[in-house]
Amino acid sequence: METTYFVNCNSAIREWDKAPTSSSPHPLPTYQASWPFPPSSCPFTIGSMLNRFIRYIQRYKGWFGGGGAICIFLGLYMGLLASPPDYYQGELVRIMYVHVPLAHTSTLAYSVLFFGSIWYLWKRDPLVDNMCQASAGICALFTALALITGSIWAKPTWNTWWTWDPRLVSFSVLLLILGGYLMLRKLVDDPERGGRYAAILAIVGGIDLPIIKFSVEWWRTLHQPMSFSTRGVAISDDILIPLTLMSLGAWLLFAYMVMVRTQILYLTDLLQAKKGRLLSQTHFSQTSP
Amino acid sequence: MTGFYARWAIMIGGILLLAMMTFQQFQQDLSTISLATVLSSPSPSETVRIQGMVKSGTLSGAVDQGQATFELIDGPTTLPVEYAGPPLENIRELKTMVLIGQLDPATKTFKAKDTALINNFGFVAAAYLLTVISMCWALFAMGQRVMVLFKEIKDEKLYEPEIDPLANKE
Repeated sequence: METTYFVNCNSAIREWDKAPTSSSPHPLPTYQASWPFPPSSCPFTIGSMLNRFIRYIQRYKGWFGGGGAICIFLGLYMGLLASPPDYYQGELVRIMYVHVPLAHTSTLAYSVLFFGSIWYLWKRDPLVDNMCQASAGICALFTALALITGSIWAKPTWNTWWTWDPRLVSFSVLLLILGGYLMLRKLVDDPERGGRYAAILAIVGGIDLPIIKFSVEWWRTLHQPMSFSTRGVAISDDILIPLTLMSLGAWLLFAYMVMVRTQILYLTDLLQAKKGRLLSQTHFSQTSP
Repeated sequence: MTGFYARWAIMIGGILLLAMMTFQQFQQDLSTISLATVLSSPSPSETVRIQGMVKSGTLSGAVDQGQATFELIDGPTTLPVEYAGPPLENIRELKTMVLIGQLDPATKTFKAKDTALINNFGFVAAAYLLTVISMCWALFAMGQRVMVLFKEIKDEKLYEPEIDPLANKE
């Protein structure tokens, strides 16, 4: 008798194993989002629609990666070669074309983590939990890079690598929250319990998002105010075009990375479950009379 | 496997091409040369960018009308400068400046016609290199991990039906 858990993933993996083509010798297996639960009989619940949405994105993640790569290459070309230097900042304005998209994307990634954690605590969907974990790791990478590139920009502009500015501090707190989230996932032995605790931490840490966003409005800061607000766009077209391209590229890249990382976590879980059952079987056969 | 490495070859090729073009533009439009190099240059009539500090007590002329004379120092080398160009907004003594112009070989005076911001492209290069290398490393590691997982799945024959030991027992 086949176990229920693996029925869902088997067909996709079998396809990958048996249908190599010259252009794509190893097409990746698609998600079976209902794992480890049986597929829902009702296709119109929010949960099943969310799972189908994730599967849909997963299937076309190559387009996200390719689109992101094209946008980033165009953005890099415009940012490094085609756009003029700023009147006051000179060539340093080019750092904005990497710093700002990284910072935007890290807040987007945390938003995914925040709403995913709420969803996970509500429905306990393991695929959403995998996506949250993937999102947290990638968000940590984007946040760390945004902080470092901002620091590199600050040294020649503000004459300091670091200052206790509300925007900088709130953004660093985001990195600490993400570090805590990832550590919780690693340190708690029971993955389900670790996922639950981490989701609670992510939801509580969500309070940092509006603080990051409005810190430049609420307090007197050294950091520049919002460039996009109800007052309009405070950026010239020469800077806006490469900045938009790079931001779009970073968002697409984030979507691609989250999907690949979710897939990695999903497949790792499958393998661990398989190995665990094999061990149990061996134990069972050795101990049974 | 081949597609994976082909994609990466295209990506790294594109990044290297961009880096080369940027470096070329940097050499053409942004890099400065030292005063000693200008003075010993074999083609002094060429337009160059020089960087140095305005020597104290030497600045004179109608600065706000774009006319000034001063001496520029760079280490032990001193070079007299005659500036004629756009009005100088922020020139002062002991300030480091980038000047664009030509050396007059007869008088050994630098005829400057414009200024530029001090080149600090090193910070830009550091930020871009850090971001691109980190992202490429993360993406490559993820791609490798997926391949390793697929290999493990094949080795473990995860796709084959499992026998439930409890069902057998029954």
